[in-house]
Amino acid sequence: MSTSNDLDRVRAAAQQLHGVISDAAAKRGEVIKADLQAIPQKAKSVIESIKASMGAQKEPTKKNLAEAVKSLEATQKHAAESLKSSGKAFQTSIRQTLADARASVQKISEAVAAGRSAESKHTRK
Amino acid sequence: MRNYVAVVFDDTSKAYEGLHALWQLDGEGAITVFGTTVVHRNEWGEYQVDSKETHAGLATAVGVGVGALLGALAGPAGAAVGAAGGAAIGAATGGAVGVTTDLVRADTRDQSRYETAFVVGAGQSAVIADVSEDWTGPIDTRMRELGGIVYRRSGGALRDDAWLGDYPPSSYLYPYEYIPPSDRVW
Repeated sequence: MSTSNDLDRVRAAAQQLHGVISDAAAKRGEVIKADLQAIPQKAKSVIESIKASMGAQKEPTKKNLAEAVKSLEATQKHAAESLKSSGKAFQTSIRQTLADARASVQKISEAVAAGRSAESKHTRK
Repeated sequence: MRNYVAVVFDDTSKAYEGLHALWQLDGEGAITVFGTTVVHRNEWGEYQVDSKETHAGLATAVGVGVGALLGALAGPAGAAVGAAGGAAIGAATGGAVGVTTDLVRADTRDQSRYETAFVVGAGQSAVIADVSEDWTGPIDTRMRELGGIVYRRSGGALRDDAWLGDYPPSSYLYPYEYIPPSDRVW
């Protein structure tokens, strides 16, 4: 399996995680919490995939992926907090969860872009 | 190179084709897309931004963020207008038109056109995207085939616009292809 395929797969998983959180945020009442219950586990699964693929990556990519892991850990934390909170605190933790998931996709995409750019320069030589 | 791209189309369905094409280019590895959204301007000049149906706080944030981004894409002339008018851009939830405003007012429209030529006219739609591209060919070619007009501003130039606030300009873009269910044609 190529390192770029690994990154593409990890990115797709993080994009899907963001999609699940934003779909949940669109719902009302207890339904949101039911959907959010799966988020910490899903985030953990993406973290594990990232860690498994990090060894084969170059240094700048590793740095981006390490930052993505931090954002996913924050996603786990805020999603867990949202399950225990209500009212304004609940809304705040949902927004933070979404922002963290967004940041993780951003960092993984930066890693993907760096890899593609390097590959493209190599091909054009 | 990291760029913000606005592609203006004459109709909504073409804009979604453009959005789809951008993500296809990403899938092919020709570019990397960090986030996208589609903005519409109706016949009365009101703006709406595609957004998942969501609670009021998030919808307002999307309106403010995308409004600021549109202002930034319009260059210095659009900046002040974007910052002031962004809050009033409606996030379209489930096809409903939200609270709206004329983002690029008549008194600044001519100036912004002069500086960057980026204006979404009444009845037009624009795909807004944050991308990494090694050269502009793939996006320009594909969007031209679909009838879109491409405008760019470098990520660095946008980040230097301090008025955008603490959040990166792309914070309010979807990090994957999102098309409202009512507008999906495939």
